[in-house]
Amino acid sequence: MDGVLAHLAAGFVDVFAPANLLALVIGLVLGLLVAVLPGLTLVMGVVLALPFTYTMEVTPAIILLTAMYVSGTYAGAWTSILFRVPGEPIDVPMLWDGYAMARKGEAAQALGWTLIAALVGGLASAAVMVLLTEPVARVALTFSTPEYFAIILFGLASVISLGGSSLANALISLFAGLLIATVGVDDTYGAHRFTFDVPILSDGIDYLVVMVGAFGLGEVFMRMELGFTSAPLKAAGTVSTRLPGLREIASLKGTFTRGTLLGIIIGIVPGAGATVASFLSYGIEAQYGRRKEKMGSGIPEGIVAPQCAATASVGGAMIPLITMGIPGSGATAIILGAFLLHGLQPGPQVLQTSSHIVYAVFASLFVGVIGMCLIGYFAARLLVRVLEFPEVIVSAYVVMCCILGAFASRNNITDVWLIVVFGVVGYLCERFRFPIAPLVLGTILGPIAETSFMTTMISFDNDWTVFFTRPISGAVMALVILTLVFPVLRRFWSPRRRSAT
Amino acid sequence: MVGAASVYLYYVATQFEFHRRGANLGPDFWPKLVLGLVLATCAYEIVKIALFGSRRELTGVLQDIVEDSARDYGDEGDDGSAPQGKPRPALLVAGIALTALYVWVIQALGFFLATAPYVAIFIALGGYRRWGINLIVSVAGTFFMMYFFMKVVYVSLPVGQEPFAQLTFWLMRLMGIR
Repeated sequence: MDGVLAHLAAGFVDVFAPANLLALVIGLVLGLLVAVLPGLTLVMGVVLALPFTYTMEVTPAIILLTAMYVSGTYAGAWTSILFRVPGEPIDVPMLWDGYAMARKGEAAQALGWTLIAALVGGLASAAVMVLLTEPVARVALTFSTPEYFAIILFGLASVISLGGSSLANALISLFAGLLIATVGVDDTYGAHRFTFDVPILSDGIDYLVVMVGAFGLGEVFMRMELGFTSAPLKAAGTVSTRLPGLREIASLKGTFTRGTLLGIIIGIVPGAGATVASFLSYGIEAQYGRRKEKMGSGIPEGIVAPQCAATASVGGAMIPLITMGIPGSGATAIILGAFLLHGLQPGPQVLQTSSHIVYAVFASLFVGVIGMCLIGYFAARLLVRVLEFPEVIVSAYVVMCCILGAFASRNNITDVWLIVVFGVVGYLCERFRFPIAPLVLGTILGPIAETSFMTTMISFDNDWTVFFTRPISGAVMALVILTLVFPVLRRFWSPRRRSAT
Repeated sequence: MVGAASVYLYYVATQFEFHRRGANLGPDFWPKLVLGLVLATCAYEIVKIALFGSRRELTGVLQDIVEDSARDYGDEGDDGSAPQGKPRPALLVAGIALTALYVWVIQALGFFLATAPYVAIFIALGGYRRWGINLIVSVAGTFFMMYFFMKVVYVSLPVGQEPFAQLTFWLMRLMGIR
């Protein structure tokens, strides 16, 4: 424990180094802007920021992206509460009570509760992240390739099972990602796989191209087809925040505790993320909260529960990312991409080889949550004014950033062509309801999954039962099966869904 | 379509050239395994539609939670979906074509000469008609991006071919980029 605290203290010193602090502040402001701006989602924002981190040192690069991730879970609530425009699904539960409070003339109080909820959820989850990372990494160090394969499979299965679309479509999207990852020259045999005699394909398809094209360009094409129709907004000049008193906060300690714990747990599960945390937390508060019958009528519990959980999920999501290199969501996939771009492979060894970077990132989460709330308190009025910015101009710059990002990674125009192709693929995925997150996660995790699988097969004489007979991998494989069967069982358990079908 | 593409790719995977090492699995195994799973998913969908129609859609847990919560606590339209305008496929095709054209000409014209008009046309295509602002946003924005990427991030952006390269070199001199 002393070692952890000493590392964390050193991390705090690192965070306050000028370059890291600047990256943190820029990341926080960008995250807040992205959450507020029409036409930009949190994941898209993190994707677009990635090229700007190419020449940075690894620590400020990861700090910037993590700061964007955490502050992106906060500012969307402003537009939900003030204008009834949820920036993304995370913010939907916030509008049920938040907008109702705003209509009663309590918008400033609603924003105050949002700020406190983000602060409590963010700081508590950061503390849990610091406490759990070392023990989890120690366990992960004992893993061999069968365990790694099983865990990656669990991550991919939960992305499918917990995602927000048809299971079959999500599976096809994931398999497409895994196939894209196989394109190029195979490392072991030197065989050309799916290169179709196109020279650039021999180098493989960079996951960055898939990520930026599908998430960034695809979303722009989707919005372009709809004519860039953002919801009309009222003037944002009257925004102010009124913080609740300590007694008021203490009266909601149960809501804060439930929301935070749920957010951390959901964050740890790969594939769940802030949206599931936000919705589930609201649902639990509505079922078990002290004032459950008043939920939806404009009470603080309806804001605190989802906001606490959404921000708390960030710290939770960082645990599997750092200790096992498994991203559970679009945003953590991009942060993993940033680690890999800078030659750092997250996993149990990272705490031994690069603990100063990891703890600087951890410390940045504490400082970032406090900074985010300070910026939110003092600058919300200013930041909300970006809502008046025309969506089409934002989108034009999104395209430019996507193309620059693709070009900058390898200085190759073919990558730019590929990004346009994956932009169209991303549009088609959105259009025909194939989720993009499994595609991207499949592209990133595909090579690791294949290597783990093939190494296991070589080590254990092609005996595939080894995945089920070793204690840890067997337990995880059972979890994989449970995760995939869960949506089917849920359909049979839930009377409402059964009657609907 | 997905099934047909998978069958074709499976055939391609059978044609990979490599020297097999003993009983070890070859580089074709993993892609074939994945393609087999795609085909199994397609077969499941076909059987499901044949037996139950397209109504019985198994969805991820998130969609169920969102639908249930929106029904229980929200008002109509509070499901987090993006505001829906009337689809304009012609605009989409024009946008994709414009982007493809931009990528096609960027190496010949250079970053600045290709990007500034692209941004301006994209914004106009998207329905924004304040031409003065459009001009400022496209020219000044492109100038800033060029400065940032070439001077700050040290990314070598396309300079273009002669005679267009001369303008890029002039701009680079103006920005103090060597």
